[in-house]
Amino acid sequence: MQQGGGSETEVTWEDQQNINKFGRLNNRLHELHDEIKIAKSFPEKHRLPPLKPPIPTASPLQTTPPYPPPVRHIPAAQREANDNLEDASNELILTDEEVVRFQIGEVFAHVPKDEVESRIEQMQEATSQKLEKLEEEKKSVVAQMSELKKILYGKFGESINLEED
Amino acid sequence: MASSSSSSAVTERRGIPGSQFVEDVQTYLNQLGLDVNSALAFLQERLQQYKVVEMKLLAQQRELQAKIPDIEKCLEVVATLQAKKGTGEELITDFEVSEGIYSRASIEETDSVCLWLGANVMLEYSLEEATALLQKNLDNARASLEVLVADLLFLRDQTTITQVTIARVYNWDVHQRRTQQVAATAIAQE
Repeated sequence: MQQGGGSETEVTWEDQQNINKFGRLNNRLHELHDEIKIAKSFPEKHRLPPLKPPIPTASPLQTTPPYPPPVRHIPAAQREANDNLEDASNELILTDEEVVRFQIGEVFAHVPKDEVESRIEQMQEATSQKLEKLEEEKKSVVAQMSELKKILYGKFGESINLEED
Repeated sequence: MASSSSSSAVTERRGIPGSQFVEDVQTYLNQLGLDVNSALAFLQERLQQYKVVEMKLLAQQRELQAKIPDIEKCLEVVATLQAKKGTGEELITDFEVSEGIYSRASIEETDSVCLWLGANVMLEYSLEEATALLQKNLDNARASLEVLVADLLFLRDQTTITQVTIARVYNWDVHQRRTQQVAATAIAQE
């Protein structure tokens, strides 16, 4: 709110309600930005670095299968982000293991590759739908905001500031 | 302009006082019996109080937002166990024993699962009961989140109204001084 203009334009309850609505929408827009970012790809800075490939063992005498690569807990939001699901399904195509470890809750279940494939597909589907819905809502929020801007700037002109810093 | 002042505002929502919309600054000041500076101080204080409540509610919101995926995870695990039921297969899992140390467990076909209820209590439930309980918790958490979000929206409106009122009182004062000054110079010139 710009101060010091000493403006004489009267503010009615209707104007106040429009300003409130604009405030709400602006807030929601910020939330949507974050939600969309997370659903697309979990923010880079929160991501765990990729696993190093296991060091090949030199000993030909090894009888037990190589120890499985270290496993890590990855936050659900990251696991379900679109990019990560894509990575996971790509990795799945490359692997020749029949049974892979699939994280359910806190544990890694040994699940046949086919089943994991279909599960990941489902998750991808769900994430895409979620993203679509968020994008749609964003569009409607932006449209409503520009509508309100027209009204409010129309009435108050320079006495009101509706832009982000 | 519609002057729907009577329908203007909810006076309170779950302990958060509503902010009064000011139709006319002069009348408002007269009603309060305050001068401009004390009115501004009063409004600023109110704004601070709103900020404190907002912080509190935002913390609660974050808590719930973290709790919901947790419950969903539990439901997923129970669903996995349930899917295995009747197949005669065991479920092999790697689980964390301690940070960075994993061990392997094989879970035989099971009808029940233990849920951690908190306060050092764990209770065994049938898979169906566990699902029902978790689902109920999930619904409750989602409902509370919804109420909380509505609280926050209400609070934001009150904050906005207060901010607008502060700006208006301030502007009104500036305008008032200006007219006085103009009047004074007009008198002096006479």
